[in-house]
Amino acid sequence: MNISEKAKGIIDSCRFCWMCRHICPIGNATGLERNTARARALGASMVVRGATELKEISKNVYECALCGACTNNCMTGWDPKVFIQELKTEIVLNGVAPDYIVGLIEKYSETGNIYGKKACSCLDSLYGNGGKIGLFVGQDALYNVPELVKKVVELLAKAGVKVDLLKNQDSGAALWFLTGKTEETKNAAVACANALNEYETVIVYDPQDYKLMKHEYNEWNVEVKAEIVSINEYLLKLIKDGALKVKKGNNEYTLQDNYFYVRDLDDETTAREIIASVGVNKEMLLKGKETNMAGHLIMNEYMPEVIKEVAQNRWINAKNMDCNVIVTESPAEYVLLKATAPQGAKVLSVEEMLLENI
Amino acid sequence: MNDFLQTQILTELEDAVGRENCSIKEIDKVTHSVDYFWLSRMWADRGRRMPEADFIVSPKDATETSKVMKIANYYKIPVTTWGGGGGTQGGAIPVCGGILLDTKRMNKIYEVNTDSMYIECGAGAIYKHIEWAANEKGYATMHYPSSLTCSTVGGFLAHRGIGVVSTKYGKIDDMVLQMEVVLPNGDIINTSSAPKHAAGPDLNQIFIGSEGTLGVITKAQIRIYEEPEVRRFRGFLFKDMSSAFKASREVLQKFKPSVMRLYDEAETASLIKKIVGVSKPGAFMNIAYEGVKELVDVEEKILLDTFAKYGAEDLGSEYGEKWWKEKITFFYPGHMMDLPQMFGTMDTIAPYDKIEKIYWAMKEAVEKNFPQAKFIAHFSHWYEWGCMIYDRFIIDEKDVPKDPVEAMRLHNAMWNLGVRTAIANGGVVNDHHGVGFKLGRLMKEQYGPAMQVFEGIKKSLDPNGIMNPFKLGL
Ligand SMILES: Cc1cc2nc3c(=O)[nH]c(=O)nc-3n(C[C@H](O)[C@H](O)[C@H](O)COP(=O)(O)OP(=O)(O)OC[C@H]3O[C@@H](n4cnc5c(N)ncnc54)[C@H](O)[C@@H]3O)c2cc1C
Ligand code: SF4
Ligand code: SF4
Repeated sequence: MNISEKAKGIIDSCRFCWMCRHICPIGNATGLERNTARARALGASMVVRGATELKEISKNVYECALCGACTNNCMTGWDPKVFIQELKTEIVLNGVAPDYIVGLIEKYSETGNIYGKKACSCLDSLYGNGGKIGLFVGQDALYNVPELVKKVVELLAKAGVKVDLLKNQDSGAALWFLTGKTEETKNAAVACANALNEYETVIVYDPQDYKLMKHEYNEWNVEVKAEIVSINEYLLKLIKDGALKVKKGNNEYTLQDNYFYVRDLDDETTAREIIASVGVNKEMLLKGKETNMAGHLIMNEYMPEVIKEVAQNRWINAKNMDCNVIVTESPAEYVLLKATAPQGAKVLSVEEMLLENI
Repeated sequence: MNDFLQTQILTELEDAVGRENCSIKEIDKVTHSVDYFWLSRMWADRGRRMPEADFIVSPKDATETSKVMKIANYYKIPVTTWGGGGGTQGGAIPVCGGILLDTKRMNKIYEVNTDSMYIECGAGAIYKHIEWAANEKGYATMHYPSSLTCSTVGGFLAHRGIGVVSTKYGKIDDMVLQMEVVLPNGDIINTSSAPKHAAGPDLNQIFIGSEGTLGVITKAQIRIYEEPEVRRFRGFLFKDMSSAFKASREVLQKFKPSVMRLYDEAETASLIKKIVGVSKPGAFMNIAYEGVKELVDVEEKILLDTFAKYGAEDLGSEYGEKWWKEKITFFYPGHMMDLPQMFGTMDTIAPYDKIEKIYWAMKEAVEKNFPQAKFIAHFSHWYEWGCMIYDRFIIDEKDVPKDPVEAMRLHNAMWNLGVRTAIANGGVVNDHHGVGFKLGRLMKEQYGPAMQVFEGIKKSLDPNGIMNPFKLGL
């Protein structure tokens, strides 16, 4: 198997270690032993040793959400995501990807997105306004929750900020998730970087795109000259500068920490400061880096029942601490928490929360 | 088994638990064939496949479990229960194939009952998850084994597990109020509504430690405790272990610390030096005491006075706090023993008048007969009358046979010697890791004619011998 020595080292460390199984949102949802970092590593180690075949482990590889909970929990600092991503590339290149993954890749080739959808015409007026500030919302929001995109634009307008929705909304995140670091993923990244570079500043809405631009683009030498800023950072600055005038009240809001922000980008505070500017932070037990992923739209395409259970589990966490209003940072978690919300509970994006308090 | 019959059984199992909860996929078979048992890991490391189950089933509750048992009994095929697979004794390995019953879908937390101070949960719940449920209400389970995050409630019960604060709060068998069990014939039973009764022997204690040989534990009520107002640590260095034993026994007649861990000179000079940073010669002992502040103040005075009397050097609280913070770090890959080393923990328990003798006898036996092995030990889990030895042997890569068959031979010879020495000097086969596949052969040597009690229970509850064959010596 053509994977790096680094990946092999992680496989050999994780294959007999159970220490992070409790924190895996997928394993907790399915109750399946194979949905653990150790099981994936054991399977891969058996492939490396010629005791089983790559096709036997390929479905299980795609059952990992790459949420990084295991990585965060590992006292030795191993990162199972590294070998998972390399395995995906191997799986795709060897033609042993599960049918449903092949189906998503084909849809992407045909339509430019894995959802096979067209962007909502309700967003047409937001493209190409000639401004210096670009808005990159990413494919999850664009094709699944255009109403969130409109809310962002509405909120920014209240602070006098006019943004231009980028034509290219493909950071390569979907290809990265499905195929790892392939030529196609890098090509998408380069095309995206070129689109970003047409602006002085680009506000990035989806943490998965922001993380890719901040981390993988650098690793792949994809140059981004524009200033890239996350929506949360941008909004907090507007609030602090007084450009976005919000009212402080006593409403309690519970942040659904997005795993990319807290784990990959080390940002646990921005959204909490935003919440504190309009209300009161009410925390769940598993918060910050210990957060539990609450949704994944790509995986929702091929394992919807499990992803629904993942979101429901997060609601159990919330309910156990009497948290009734959840504030999300990513479109994926917004959609899935909303779809599974128990009676009396509410989901708001950060922007929706702010719009409620202006 | 021919594939026609196998397919027939598969459809029956699918009917019992749902198609998506029944698998014959290779990944599921491989995943459930290697647990934390060194031999299974070594076998896989050498690219050999361990014995695998024919079917992996995940029932959601006792009713579905019961259906699985009835199918297994009819076709007379083995059922091996798998919780987290974190057991060290090969107990969850389906050595005879058949059905592997994974309990982790039975993970529901039904109730956190703060009136009677227990959590009712499915036995497949990961212990850390019930700890979270307790923490969310401001309480704690006080069961903190190093495998807290790996293993299930049912696994700890089935193995008689123990955590680091056991000296004050008890072992898992002290922490359970009631259990639901599915018997091999499919009957669903509940143990008595409360323990500590005089309505005959305690049914809980028949199934606790039975390692999946008598039935499947499907639900349990597990005790919770108030979080202590204070938890304090104190490290000590004794010049030898004898004085540490005397001092500790005396303290235990007066109060119960939560953590008591005495490391022999060899482990003090290796692991403790590496992780906690104590670099002086002697036997390091870490004590924690906790609860209401006024009481803890008194306990601290008793501890310091008693230990001073036996010449212990007071190292303050820093080492103990570091140990508490790092207590599970030891178990991550790269920190403790790991393949390609060969290693094992031959924990045993005995009264104070025998414990030191056992330690020296085991040390001498291992070091004399296997000079390639290092022997280190610590003593944790203390009682008024005795304590446990957690003794380990470690053989470095260069001395571990490359041939897996030879490696198994050496491994089993070391275990035979170590455990037989413990038994001969008044110890028992195991303290808290259980017996499993690894030590089954030594159960008769331990119990002699008393073994017929276990065999009798086994025969009457499981006449077809389907439950976890070749485990626990049954
Ligand atoms: C890193 C690490 C550290 C450890 N530290 C400790 C420690 O500090 N203290 C300690 O006590 N142990 C420790 N262990 C050992 C292990 O965690 C325990 O033995 C635990 O009880 C195993 O639980 P499990 O759910 O993983 O069970 P498994 O390994 O899946 O099964 C163990 C046995 O129990 C049976 N079983 C499991 N569930 C049920 C059920 N519901 N009904 C009937 N039978 C069942 C199985 O058939 C098998 O025989 C450690 C293990 C690891 C991996
Ligand atoms: S990531 Fe760390 S904790 Fe998880 S299986 Fe690997 S080594 Fe163990
Ligand atoms: S990255 Fe997330 S989903 Fe994948 S194994 Fe780790 S914890 Fe589970």
